[in-house]
Amino acid sequence: MGSSRARTFLLYAGAVLLALIAIYAGTRPAGIHLTRAAVLVQDSQGYAAPPRQIDSRRLAGSWREVALPHAPRPNVVPGAGDAGLLPTRTTWYRFALDPADPAPPHAYLYVPRWKTDGTFAIYADGRLIYQSHANLQWNGSNRPLWIPLEDAAETRPPRELLIRIRHVRGMGGALSSLWLGDYRQLAPAYYARAFFQAELPYISSAMFLATGIFAFLVWLRRRRETLYLLFAAMTAVTFLRLMHTYMGLDRLPVSDAWFGWFTVNPVAWMVLIIHLFLVRLHHHDRRAVTVALAGVSLVFAIVTLPMFAGTFDATVISPLMYVTMAVMGLVTFGLDLQWSRKAGSGEGVMLAACSLLAVVLGGYDILLQSNFVNIEGLFLTMYAQIAMIVAFWLIMLGRYTQAVSQVEQANVVLARSLAAREAELNASHQKLRAIERREVLFEERQRLMQDMHDGLGSSLVSALRVVEHGRIDEAGIAQILKGCIDDLKLTIDSMEPVETDLLLLLGTLRFRLEPRLEATGIALRWEVRDVPPLAWLDQRHSLHVLRILQEAFTNVIKHAGATEIRVTTEVQDGVVRVGIHDDGRGFDVAAAAPGRGLGNQARRAEAIGGRVALESTSRGTAFLLLLPIQGTAPSRRRALGEIP
Amino acid sequence: MPDSALPPLKVALVEDDIAFQNSFAAALAPARDMVLAGTAHNVAQARRLLDGPALDVLVVDLGLPDGSGIDVIRAARAAWPACGIMVSTTFADEKHVIASIEAGAAGYLLKDSSAEKIADEIRALHAGGSPISPRIARQILLRFRPPEPAPEAAPPLANPLSPREHEALELITKGFSYDEIAELMLVSRNTVMTFVRRIYQKLEVTSKAEAIFEARNHGLL
Repeated sequence: MGSSRARTFLLYAGAVLLALIAIYAGTRPAGIHLTRAAVLVQDSQGYAAPPRQIDSRRLAGSWREVALPHAPRPNVVPGAGDAGLLPTRTTWYRFALDPADPAPPHAYLYVPRWKTDGTFAIYADGRLIYQSHANLQWNGSNRPLWIPLEDAAETRPPRELLIRIRHVRGMGGALSSLWLGDYRQLAPAYYARAFFQAELPYISSAMFLATGIFAFLVWLRRRRETLYLLFAAMTAVTFLRLMHTYMGLDRLPVSDAWFGWFTVNPVAWMVLIIHLFLVRLHHHDRRAVTVALAGVSLVFAIVTLPMFAGTFDATVISPLMYVTMAVMGLVTFGLDLQWSRKAGSGEGVMLAACSLLAVVLGGYDILLQSNFVNIEGLFLTMYAQIAMIVAFWLIMLGRYTQAVSQVEQANVVLARSLAAREAELNASHQKLRAIERREVLFEERQRLMQDMHDGLGSSLVSALRVVEHGRIDEAGIAQILKGCIDDLKLTIDSMEPVETDLLLLLGTLRFRLEPRLEATGIALRWEVRDVPPLAWLDQRHSLHVLRILQEAFTNVIKHAGATEIRVTTEVQDGVVRVGIHDDGRGFDVAAAAPGRGLGNQARRAEAIGGRVALESTSRGTAFLLLLPIQGTAPSRRRALGEIP
Repeated sequence: MPDSALPPLKVALVEDDIAFQNSFAAALAPARDMVLAGTAHNVAQARRLLDGPALDVLVVDLGLPDGSGIDVIRAARAAWPACGIMVSTTFADEKHVIASIEAGAAGYLLKDSSAEKIADEIRALHAGGSPISPRIARQILLRFRPPEPAPEAAPPLANPLSPREHEALELITKGFSYDEIAELMLVSRNTVMTFVRRIYQKLEVTSKAEAIFEARNHGLL
């Protein structure tokens, strides 16, 4: 993984480097290059406005020749002023232009770098053509100057350029070499420098801030993920810090003191925030480091706060601040780099490295700021800061893609466990159904066995006894066998569902018994009326009903000597009454009932929640089976189990 | 009832049980109006029988040693369209009887019927149709019941029952005999028999329609 990523990185870095070289080569300035000037230095008080016209020959003092860029070493302690005015110094640079090599028409004066803690003014042939309109300290001196020369009908190429810089005595004055030429000669150089020095930091810090706002909104919803908050804070602080790279060429809406406060202090805040961020990457929280950084940041912020008397100007003590933070940053980020490497956090290493680079470049910038190195160079820290921006982006991007893939993985796992759970449920459901099926089968078997035992079995056994004792003729045997077959048919009928239809059950019974009745010559009158559906009437119960009524018929055929049987149904008080009425001779119910099987019928009826009744007179007998319409039948097991 | 002026009914039996063959032959012997014109013991023999001249009534047992009697019924329906087909069964249980009717049978014969009853049933079948048991009537009603939520898979009902046929079937499920039904519906017994015959036919036709519908559904046609 490492080598391919490194190769990609090198590829990109090479491409960027090539592009930069191309830009550098393509934007070299041409035209008149002013690299030498006569300099005249005057001590002054305060910041008097520059005169409109001036004759350089009348200026008091002696001129001396210098090479440009010209950058005197600043004094550390400013000198004392008179009359409460700030002691200032006015430095004049005079350029005598060669009449043989005049400036072209539509010429521009291009000043790549200038410095003053004060004001800046330019004269052409003794006439003021430009002056700074800015704060004294934060005056946009990081922006190159691009000054069009007067372009009137009578205009002639200038013979002399004069630059007036009034600045704090002992601090800040410096001037790079100058270029004089037309747009084509100088514009590429100017725009390239303006872009890289001022606009690039502006654009990138603004973009960074936008992503920070987004991160902040994320944090508002996910308060526990402080990384988002730190990221947001970092973007804000970076935005503040980079302001001084592009702002100030026009007057600022705030005082120099405040602008200094919120552009200088962010250096300390950045170090603190980056450290806190790195701690969350490498998880090595050395308390002392954090506390020291926070303490220093706080102390600087307080002592430079311009709201109270007795505080220090942030701009003035910025060198002290920068040096302090450079040292602390080196130590902190060095440790962070170490810890990140130990923790195996590539992100941490990347960010710590960028931060270290920023500190190192910060050192260079201090030298540039203090005129120790060629002032025509660029301030470099901001590029490290842009690299840091990219590093932050990459880290947040990593977090985001990681979160997304985690969600994806979680979904996969979830789907898998859901499927497993479903399979489990299915299996247990299947098992339950298998058990249920077994139970149903078992009950059905029980029921059939019981039925065989009570019906067919006992009929066959008694037939066997009779035949063994030789007390029966063929017709008698046939009768018994017919009875057995009828039993069997009713058993088979009871295996088909009747779906709550009592009349269907009675019809079935009639269909089975009719041939026997016909043989006996007993007339059957079918006087059934519709009855409501009996929800409880399942196969088990219907066999009981069939057997009860079958026995009633058998009793009539065997004993009653009847000529007619009436079958009736009626509904009374939530009870269905099935009646088997004969016109036979009747009998004494109390005396004869048990012998005639009423006990068996009563038990079966009770098992299905009903009861039986017998009324007998000399004109006939009425057998009644009373069945509840609502299912008050006892449980299946009881219905099965209680029949002997 | 036997009309000596008409030629006797030619009856054939497809049955593997020798005992029933014998009692069947014995039941037909005294009847002058019918004659046992053929006997087959299995499906193969039955098919050969069907290749011969058409007979009037064919009695088929379902459980044959080399196949199902249903196939014999179907083949007979095709070979002898005018022949009345009866399925002989011990219990007249719904499953077998309905399947037979759907294959083209017009009635059934209970094997434990008396000799006179057997002859009567054959005559009744030839005259119109066998009695329908309440359970089978109920099954037919369910078969013809209009589909309540109209599921798309329901086959089109080519021959729905007429209201009178429906009423007759309802009365059969309640156990009423044909005479009682005739009385209740204020029609003759013959009319009830006609209803029953039509019901048998519709069941067969419907089952064929269903078969075609199913075949279409399964892309076989």
